[in-house]
Amino acid sequence: MNLIYLYCVTDKIPQLKEERDRIYFLRHKGLYAIVRKVPEDEFSEEKLQKNFNNMEWLKIKAYIHEKIIEGVMKDSSSVVPFRLATLFKNEKSLTEMLEKHSEELRRNLKDLEEMEEWGVKGYCDIERLKYLFEIEDMEILETDKKINSSSAGKAFFLRKKREELLNEVINKKINEVSQECLDRLGQHCLRIRLNRLLPEEATGRKDEMILNSAFLVKKNKVKTFIKVVETFKTQSGNRGFCFEYTGPWPPYNFCWQNDKSQTDHG
Amino acid sequence: MDNVYTRSKDIALIEILDRVLDKGVVISGDIVISVADVDLIYVGLKVLLSSVETMNRLKWAEVPCPESPGNL
Repeated sequence: MNLIYLYCVTDKIPQLKEERDRIYFLRHKGLYAIVRKVPEDEFSEEKLQKNFNNMEWLKIKAYIHEKIIEGVMKDSSSVVPFRLATLFKNEKSLTEMLEKHSEELRRNLKDLEEMEEWGVKGYCDIERLKYLFEIEDMEILETDKKINSSSAGKAFFLRKKREELLNEVINKKINEVSQECLDRLGQHCLRIRLNRLLPEEATGRKDEMILNSAFLVKKNKVKTFIKVVETFKTQSGNRGFCFEYTGPWPPYNFCWQNDKSQTDHG
Repeated sequence: MDNVYTRSKDIALIEILDRVLDKGVVISGDIVISVADVDLIYVGLKVLLSSVETMNRLKWAEVPCPESPGNL
């Protein structure tokens, strides 16, 4: 038995080149759902619970998912992407979903026309930033002097105070830099979405993630947007900050269900 | 953007997982898998990253081939 795997929905006839991979589309009232038949013995609820814990499996499926949606994106002005492994028992139940949500889908597709999603992640080498404050911050330097000329007991408390102070200035700095990044990029996009920060286990990096953001950018503003990121990246780089951008992405972050947590920018 | 179609293979897995696992339209299709515990998946990702590293190390390390009769 097969299930129907839904990748994305668009409103123009998709030019599919991967017939050999059994990718096809279902049409319903001017909406096109890009789908593939997948075997139930791999994608049933029970099997998925297992497969989602199999990193090799997850990796392959995630890349295929992304590749297929990107392929559709190439020919369409607008695409609504679905989450990994969105599955239906048959074409009938998928059509019912399209019918039920046709208005939201149509509105979403219209909103996303001529738009691209770009991602910006910010990282901070906390040790480097700490070091910079230790050699530059007046208040910290003052405290160091006091520690050196104090009795052991007093020095102990001063050291504690110094640690608190250092954490405070570092947090303040990180917030300032992230905010500055959002302010600058916010001028060149329609919407911003902030996502939760990913742990070191996930990024595989030594510096800490301080910003995980997605931007909805008009296609004709993308060049400017990238230039602004590049400039910001260069300017903040020597302080231990690192900003990376990726895109264009299917607008995963700007689908209608995500609307609540977005910030609108005129 | 001519290269958009071929681009995905160069993108880090984490960038893709960060999107396809808990973003995009979340419709309750007929089959429902809970990906609420995405953190667990990220922990699994570390295992994968390190296993790739191990694989690369093994590939590049010059180890004598045990099957070769000359080493017996």
